[in-house]
Amino acid sequence: MISIFRGLITTLKTTFRRPVTVQYPSTHLPLTPRYMGFPVLTWDFKIQEPYCTGCLVCARVCPTDVITVSMKDNPKAANEESHRRKIVNDFKLDISNCILCGLCVEFCNFDAIIMSDFHEEGSLTRVEQDLPLVTLLDMGKEMQDKGKFTPPPPKKRPPAKAKKDEPATDADPEKQES
Amino acid sequence: MSTLLITITQVSILLAFIMVMVLILTYLERKVLARIQMRMGPMRTGPYGILQSLADMMKLLAKEDIRPHGSDRMLFYLAPLFVFVPSFLIWITIPFTRNIVVENLELGLFYIVAVSTVSIVGMVLAGWASGGKYSILGSARSAAQLISYELPLVFVIAGVGILAQSFNLITIVNQQSSIPAIVYQPLGFTIFFVAGLAEVGRIPFDIPHAESEVVGGPFVEYSGIRWSIFFLAEYANTLAIATLSVLLFLGGWSGPLTEHFEWLQPIWLILKVSAILFLIFWIRATLPRFRIDQLMQFAWKILLPLSFVYIMVNATVPFVETVITSNAASNQLTGIAQIILGACQILILFLVAFAISKRRKKYLTHLHQGVPA
Repeated sequence: MISIFRGLITTLKTTFRRPVTVQYPSTHLPLTPRYMGFPVLTWDFKIQEPYCTGCLVCARVCPTDVITVSMKDNPKAANEESHRRKIVNDFKLDISNCILCGLCVEFCNFDAIIMSDFHEEGSLTRVEQDLPLVTLLDMGKEMQDKGKFTPPPPKKRPPAKAKKDEPATDADPEKQES
Repeated sequence: MSTLLITITQVSILLAFIMVMVLILTYLERKVLARIQMRMGPMRTGPYGILQSLADMMKLLAKEDIRPHGSDRMLFYLAPLFVFVPSFLIWITIPFTRNIVVENLELGLFYIVAVSTVSIVGMVLAGWASGGKYSILGSARSAAQLISYELPLVFVIAGVGILAQSFNLITIVNQQSSIPAIVYQPLGFTIFFVAGLAEVGRIPFDIPHAESEVVGGPFVEYSGIRWSIFFLAEYANTLAIATLSVLLFLGGWSGPLTEHFEWLQPIWLILKVSAILFLIFWIRATLPRFRIDQLMQFAWKILLPLSFVYIMVNATVPFVETVITSNAASNQLTGIAQIILGACQILILFLVAFAISKRRKKYLTHLHQGVPA
């Protein structure tokens, strides 16, 4: 008998609490710092080209086979502007099948692919779910602007001489190998 | 001829009023329920979702009207009317203020009781005509519940009639112009409210259409507009019970300042009815559903004897008063008699509550025999 009134008081208390509802399309919950959305490609602002060399590691390791990559000779490498002899020609990411596992990021040798916090990439047709290289790079640039990406230490092209100029990179030998 | 036209106009205005009130009521119910559960409720259709019930109505009207194979054609189409028409007819004699009433019947309360009973027939018909086992089960359950709770309701109304010496709703409200009747008959209000909740099938008593048990009770096979007629009847009944409990026990339209400002009367009535409706929604959000045997036990073992006691007390106190003061002319209770009546009823309420909790404790210890609580 008393418990009925106790229950009524409990529900009365919750009546005057703030609703927990988030009106989704107009307001968003804040994303956690390490939120894993779709993988995107990064942009090397120094040389103005993608980090990706099209080495196919990500495509091979991908458990759902959503990545399609092709490689070409880097035109900038010919006139010594870039240290990358090969560069990505075409890149396609089928986000409708991507399971956000992060294996591509884990295995990339050039830090060319990172996990972004993009998660609202729905579309009306299946074709739009295949993100092309340009889109992925744009998304990557946005992530880099947010500071979600620390660029890899510069590779020493001529390894012998630059040793004393860059002691900071030498202190981290593991990163160079990977 | 002209009186007929006037009556038709009045009735159609009343019908429109009930429709609009039902729309508002469903919206309010969803909002209040959502707030209690820390949600927001409908927010998309219109500002703060105020057009939600309108959209729901449109959806229901646009739906296909299905009649199941093996159902009784005529009864299937007739049953919604059997349920809706009584719940609408009740409203004819319910006054909104001293002057706004369609037909001020001298035996208004009796009429309400008599007419509302017909809707049970509609429930049973709906279940039977659908030709399905769930619907017939649901209709049996709802008929059992409605008949069980009809009795305490009728007895309480009889008790009110004894005290007021009238079955006219306007007279009853006018007698409460100084103090509302709940002060000197709290027991009556409690029984009326609980039995009323059961009568309209609100949540602790929503056995007839227990969605999680028998899908939808007698209305399983109904869809579209016919289902919405049942829905309409249910909410019209809820509103009627809320309004009746305000008229009988909370003083109706009488309140502060109504003597000087006539237009305050409907506002007071609306305020009081809203309070009762909030109580109904609040209870819906809090309490779980009764089991069918608990429901029957509560009706026959507790509520019905209690309403007998209520009638006896209500009959005895005025009788003793007239014997002592030998003043048979006035049919109004004096202040002292009112206090005594109220004290008696509160005492009975507490005794019953005490007895129930005692019994419950005994039942629980019996249940957990040997297990330390």
